[in-house]
Amino acid sequence: MSIKHLIFQNLKKNIKNYYLYVFALIFSVSLYFAFVTLQYDPAMNEVEGSVKGAAAIKSASILLVAIVSIFLLYANTIFIKRRSKEIGLFQLIGMTKNRIFRILTIENFMLYFGSLLIGILLGFSVSKLIIMILFKVMQINAIAELHFSTEALAQTLIVFAVIYLLIMFMNYLFIKRQSILALFRIVSSTETRVKKLSIWEIVIGAVGIIMILSGYYISSKLFGGDFTTINELFLAMIFILGSVILGTYLFYKGSISFIFNIIRKKKDGYLTIKEVLSLSSIMFRMKSNALLLTIITTVSALAIGLLSLSYISYYSIEKTAEHTVAGDFSFTNVNDGEKFEKSLAANNISFHERKIRVIQADANLKNILDTNLEELNFDPKKMKLPVISDQAVDTIDVAPGQAVFTDYNNALQKFMSFKASGQFDLIGKSKTIQLTYLGLRNDSVLSLDFTAGGLPVVIVNQTDFERLQKDINPAIQNKSTLFIGIDVKNEDQLEKANQVFNEFKFNGDSARSRLEISNGMKQIMGLTMFIVGFLGLTFLVTSGCILYFKQMGESEEEKPNYSILRKLGFTRSDLLKGISRKQLFSFGIPLVIGLAHSYFAVKSGWFFFGTELWTPMIIVMILYAALYSVFGILSVLYYKKVIRDAL
Amino acid sequence: MTILEATKIYKNYGNKFNKQEVLKGLDLTIDKGEFVSIMGASGSGKTTLLNVLSSIDKVSQGSIKIEGNEITRMKEKQLAEFRKSHLGFIFQEYNLLDTLTVKENILLPLTVTKTPKKTAEQKFAEVAQELGILEVKDKYPNEISGGQKQRTSAARAFIHEPSIIFADEPTGALDSKSASDLLNKLSQLNQKRKATIVMVTHDPVAASFSNRVIFIKDGQIYTQLNKGDQSRQTFFKDIMKTQGVLGGVQYEH
Repeated sequence: MSIKHLIFQNLKKNIKNYYLYVFALIFSVSLYFAFVTLQYDPAMNEVEGSVKGAAAIKSASILLVAIVSIFLLYANTIFIKRRSKEIGLFQLIGMTKNRIFRILTIENFMLYFGSLLIGILLGFSVSKLIIMILFKVMQINAIAELHFSTEALAQTLIVFAVIYLLIMFMNYLFIKRQSILALFRIVSSTETRVKKLSIWEIVIGAVGIIMILSGYYISSKLFGGDFTTINELFLAMIFILGSVILGTYLFYKGSISFIFNIIRKKKDGYLTIKEVLSLSSIMFRMKSNALLLTIITTVSALAIGLLSLSYISYYSIEKTAEHTVAGDFSFTNVNDGEKFEKSLAANNISFHERKIRVIQADANLKNILDTNLEELNFDPKKMKLPVISDQAVDTIDVAPGQAVFTDYNNALQKFMSFKASGQFDLIGKSKTIQLTYLGLRNDSVLSLDFTAGGLPVVIVNQTDFERLQKDINPAIQNKSTLFIGIDVKNEDQLEKANQVFNEFKFNGDSARSRLEISNGMKQIMGLTMFIVGFLGLTFLVTSGCILYFKQMGESEEEKPNYSILRKLGFTRSDLLKGISRKQLFSFGIPLVIGLAHSYFAVKSGWFFFGTELWTPMIIVMILYAALYSVFGILSVLYYKKVIRDAL
Repeated sequence: MTILEATKIYKNYGNKFNKQEVLKGLDLTIDKGEFVSIMGASGSGKTTLLNVLSSIDKVSQGSIKIEGNEITRMKEKQLAEFRKSHLGFIFQEYNLLDTLTVKENILLPLTVTKTPKKTAEQKFAEVAQELGILEVKDKYPNEISGGQKQRTSAARAFIHEPSIIFADEPTGALDSKSASDLLNKLSQLNQKRKATIVMVTHDPVAASFSNRVIFIKDGQIYTQLNKGDQSRQTFFKDIMKTQGVLGGVQYEH
């Protein structure tokens, strides 16, 4: 048998075993290639106009390489350990270490560069699709064209060749360091011996759970007003991060075995086949993989969290734009408004106009403001708020002496919330009007120009408004006291109206178009979401693969157990049921913890990003969980094969 | 009463062009309550014989009946069903699940048949008492000695009161003290519970604990020895003599 034959034989065997590795490699290469192609694509110039598109894509591709190279190196350590017996055997029959290294190198070379080639071809063919997705989420109306970029090809080849050299270097070190005997032993030495649960582990287990829960608890209090200075907030965040991550580690190290042990104790030795295969095996496995699982869980939590947040922003764009611009178009300059209206009329676009007189007044909100933030850079007794009459808003009616607030920014609400009702004062130039605050509404009445970036608008009765108007404090008034909102009656004409608006080239501070703003945000958020999405997907695929490889190893180690159980008279389907349950835990526990982590992370600060929490977050989580469980199902199929061969 | 009846069993390995016959038309009957040893040199086919008798491996030809059930024609699922209610196993490598405690290992066969917990508890206490492993019931296999492991394995084989217990070199990995301990327990259980035991061994001492020794050579039965009323010592000498005649390799000039 020649060396060539040996290599081919190995290759054939490996491809069958490592098809998922090959898949992950092809996937990451093609994604990287597509990203780099995108970076060099002339079409990206259009994106570049508004945002630094290429730069963002470039940094994403760097991150992508980081994820992929860590994955490949890690996967390689798993594989080389699995093949240590074979390497030992080669040495035993008198091959030199260099020769073995050469065999491995050639073998890997074919597998790796074969996948690289396929990946590049695939990447090239899907790059158009990816650009189309990007344009779609950014709402750019451009036609994606297929460009083959030699720069992208060169860059991809270089980057992956470097990773290949790194892998080979690792293999070289591995082979150099091992003695023949050690190579034969390596598989058995990696797993810890099964021993009874010590008190120490029970303590670790309990501490792990307490740490995670306390992290969650603090995160739910983070912006609730318990932390009053920026320093305290910062410390709280560090604490949450530290305690949750460390808690996760301890959870895997001790809590799992601790909880499972309690369940087992209850059974008093009488375990069903399902419990034998799931509980007892996982109890000991999770402990030895604690670090890996912690990393996977933390990074998945990060990925899900970022995905949720970017999707929340994207999802809330319309709502945010509504609060930025009240109406389809808004003006504070009467001349501009009239010019635009005339032009609309000339274009046969029917519209509805609202004019609102806005007075700025200092308000003493001390009695109704529910905050203890000390480092506010304004005085709650003298807060400048826009005031309008209830006649300006059709949907709201307020009695004299009363007032409602509206248009209050979501994030600000968390820092400074109002009580349900109470008394507050509006301070004019000489007199003070006392009003009863009735509550907060969510109508969008004024554009951002009047609300100082998100402060509430006070709506009072016409009589109170007139009183205030007579006693106006000129020092604090805006340049313009008139808000002109223009709504296009027919939605279909909005695009056209926006074109008319753009032709004027108004000053951006006095004239705003909601469509323009939401499109701008969509470009930024779309690009962010696109990048985060693909990075998240890469991470998902690579971490899923790593868990799958781990399960492959476990299944082979547990094969003797399966043959015992089958000899005892358990059928294949009995075993498979137990294994399915085991996989439910093996994949489910990291997933559920990752989801819980990201849920609490998103929950504590989502209001900075948008107005809608649940729908976007749940969509992201369900998608992530569904894709992730594919790997669990694949591993069950692998187990099925092992069980079948066990007897 | 005959409990196991094997007639004309053949077992071949390999393909058409490279066939290796391991069992060549072997006949065997075992009565209820017997303690039978199967002896033979390496490669004589004794483990293969045990595997086909215990339904783990399939015969190429012939029939095997256990308590009147023809097992050679059973489907995978039926076989599993049959194994869990009728057969018990003891192996050289103990074959314990090292993630389970001693008690959990022993109770495994009962969970297959869904025995009520109370009965299971009772049976466990009984068999663990008899085999002297009650004190280590909450330990993991890694924490106990080889002898204790093998007795755990034996307890697992006995607990569901199977029709036949198959033991493959049960003393192979044990020191002589643990080995005679285990064999004493086995023959006690054989008498007390009227359990049928079929044991493969190459150790004449181990074989001398049984009622009957079957010698296998080249896939066929070479001879049989019955213990009858003689003492274990004289039976041991008989076995040694036969083994001497049987030899390993033919010495030809």
